[in-house]
Amino acid sequence: MIKEFCDWLSGTNVSVAFQSANWFVPTVQTVHIISIAILLTSVYVVSFRLIGLTRRGQPLATLVAKSTPWVWITLCVLLGTGILLTITEPARELLNWAFRVKMLMVMALAGILLVVQVRLRRSPEYWTESRTRRLAARAIGIAAVIIGAGIVTAGRWIAYV
Amino acid sequence: MALEQALTRLQDLPLPTQIRESDWMFPTIETVHVFALVLVVGTIMTVDLRLLGFANKERPFSQVASEMLPWTWAAFAVAALAGMLMFSSKALTYYSNIPFRLKMACLLLAGINMAMFHWLGTRHLEAWDRGRPPRAAKLAGGASLLLWATIVAAGRWIGFTT
Repeated sequence: MIKEFCDWLSGTNVSVAFQSANWFVPTVQTVHIISIAILLTSVYVVSFRLIGLTRRGQPLATLVAKSTPWVWITLCVLLGTGILLTITEPARELLNWAFRVKMLMVMALAGILLVVQVRLRRSPEYWTESRTRRLAARAIGIAAVIIGAGIVTAGRWIAYV
Repeated sequence: MALEQALTRLQDLPLPTQIRESDWMFPTIETVHVFALVLVVGTIMTVDLRLLGFANKERPFSQVASEMLPWTWAAFAVAALAGMLMFSSKALTYYSNIPFRLKMACLLLAGINMAMFHWLGTRHLEAWDRGRPPRAAKLAGGASLLLWATIVAAGRWIGFTT
């Protein structure tokens, strides 16, 4: 069923137009990569603090509050550029298991970020006010670091599997 | 030509040959390269956006820079090492690739821009550390953003032209 969708999509006018402009995919991918740079750096700054690797500087709640707009804006840009790339080469993405793994990890990361952000908005001390919370914060931070690296890995391996 | 002979000898060495002939070595090294460069670009952008007054305006520039730049250097070292390994596997091909040359030229320019900013732009740092940077510092920040965006773009183009 997905294969039929890919065949149909790759034959549409817009897909053919994107395919025939050989600057299109590299340019969209460049925007995609720069957006990942902004997203992952924001995520890692927060994650390293959650883990306790960095301690000085702004409070966790401030770090998270400042990074929140950047995180969600870049996720939207990544979704948009991703859709453009998928329209251009539907099978390359939709029939590829590395792509599917990547999407699962993106959703997991977004979920983690949402939990961290929402909890902090209600209570700035949420992740630091008890030993249990601090351990949870460390686990979440480690998960975010690993998932972030996993997203980059899966993304690159789309081209190879 | 002596250079082309040297590049051929480089790519014929055991490790570069292994990288070139393996199914998984190049993709793995490339993945490390992408992961590292993502952190290089992200941390540099944070500093540049502070210079341009678009983010972290309430914090002293020197604080933003001292928090980001150690990570920039560490990530850059990893990216450069991975890049050299990839280059060595097909040295002749990459050497004559136009996007690759553009990327190297922009890396050099970005380095010069950073050095000039460090030696000239931070001379009277105390005067503007907490406020708006002088025009020259903003220009350095803007140039840095443009150069790094070009580096990413040129890097991507290598993959489409080799």
